[in-house]
Amino acid sequence: MKSRYSTAKNVFVDSIDIDDYIELNSSVTAYQQLQHSMDKPLKMILLFGKPGTGKSILLNRIQEKLKHQKEIHYFDTPAVNEKEFFHKLFKVLTEKDLPVNTEVNFSALVDFCKNLRGKREIIILLDEAQMYGSEMMEKIRLLSDTRAVKFVVSLHKTEDEDLIAKEHFQSRIWEVIELKNATKEDQTAYVHKKLLKKNLFEIANSIKDSDMKLIHRFTKGNYRECNKLLFTIFEICEYYDTNEPSKVDYRHIPKKIIEMAALKLGYIYV
Amino acid sequence: MYDMKPLEDQWNKYRKKKLKPWYISFAVILFLIIILSSFLNIKKINLDWFDINFDTYVNKEKKVNLIRTSKIVMNGPLMKLEIEKKIVSMVNNNEVEKLSNILVDIPILDNIQKPINSSTQLRKKINMNIIESSSISAYKDVENRFRQSRDIDDALFLAKSYYKKGNYAKAEHWALETNKVDENIEESLLIFVKSKVKLGRKNEAIGILMSYVNKTDSIEAKNLLYKIKNDKF
Repeated sequence: MKSRYSTAKNVFVDSIDIDDYIELNSSVTAYQQLQHSMDKPLKMILLFGKPGTGKSILLNRIQEKLKHQKEIHYFDTPAVNEKEFFHKLFKVLTEKDLPVNTEVNFSALVDFCKNLRGKREIIILLDEAQMYGSEMMEKIRLLSDTRAVKFVVSLHKTEDEDLIAKEHFQSRIWEVIELKNATKEDQTAYVHKKLLKKNLFEIANSIKDSDMKLIHRFTKGNYRECNKLLFTIFEICEYYDTNEPSKVDYRHIPKKIIEMAALKLGYIYV
Repeated sequence: MYDMKPLEDQWNKYRKKKLKPWYISFAVILFLIIILSSFLNIKKINLDWFDINFDTYVNKEKKVNLIRTSKIVMNGPLMKLEIEKKIVSMVNNNEVEKLSNILVDIPILDNIQKPINSSTQLRKKINMNIIESSSISAYKDVENRFRQSRDIDDALFLAKSYYKKGNYAKAEHWALETNKVDENIEESLLIFVKSKVKLGRKNEAIGILMSYVNKTDSIEAKNLLYKIKNDKF
């Protein structure tokens, strides 16, 4: 027999599936801020925050919402090399595939973009931009200078990446949006909404405020860590539910199980 | 699926580690409470000990009062000494209850005694025991005490003791001291007279004894006078 926790566990599989997007106060604010910035005549927008703060899902969300209104493209993973990136960009700009055995001439691409100014407004959402090299970023800047292509650059917030931001965008970026870790209230709403979205009302109800306090303490409000922790919690619950049902209290997630999951993931140590 | 056993073991270790500071705090608090309560108990015991000592002291005083009462009832000085010795040893052996039973019959005499002297009385009895053990310093103590208290018991005791020991000059002296405090004590006079005889002043002794016999008509004094005159003493 399938455990009730099996479905709950899968709710927290980490993904950037737009169907999993949960509207929270903080995410709504970030979304509106980003949308407002994209409406401005800006060349580049920097979206940054620690890993797991919801940058990727926000970019996905905005692309999904605006795809019918604007020419907006999402580049999820960075290209392996410059050639591949310009192939991708060529396809977006020209809406044609690059002929076989040909390469993109960057100068020609810039000229092409300049010709597009005033005719088209293309928005490129660059996720994981910290993985692009400085030379590549310089070329992206030159393309943004044509004002035909607007780049939303998503970066992880680390010391090195802040340096990249300073070097490449300091004088060019007009808007900076920072995503932060969730508050306990936001995280509680996130977990409950995720479960309720899958009609897991009883399980959502079994996660009490004290449990969320503990979860928030372990994950520091990070959504990715929260997903990982809850996945592990429900996996342990699933095990007990199947093998030792006496150890599971369906009305309340035992603190022991939350701590066991935290031990498993290395949030706490013996 | 995880292997839950190692994870549970890990959690048990974690829990112990987490609770450790609480256990330590609890142990420290408990230790402090024990120390504190022990300290208070010691204080209480000390107070109790003081109370017990105080009670014992008071009881002793009561007993001594009773002892003294009995002493007064027994008029003969030598008898009195024997009784004192007996009673002191009884006090020492915690047989005071028996004594108090004996002395219940003379309640009026209790009222005559001054309680202040009772402790001195106790000390005397104890010192008398020491004197019996022929300690020279103990004689000195009694002599010094007599000079302060002018207690005839002390003086008479010294007179008899020295007489028994053959120190007739001192016996004469202490018999005289006794007589100075109370001239009606016949025993001191008899020791005084006997000491003079022993010191070779027979005529002087006969003169004093004759005047005493004329005055009191004491049989004992008459007998002694007869013995001295006929060289039977």
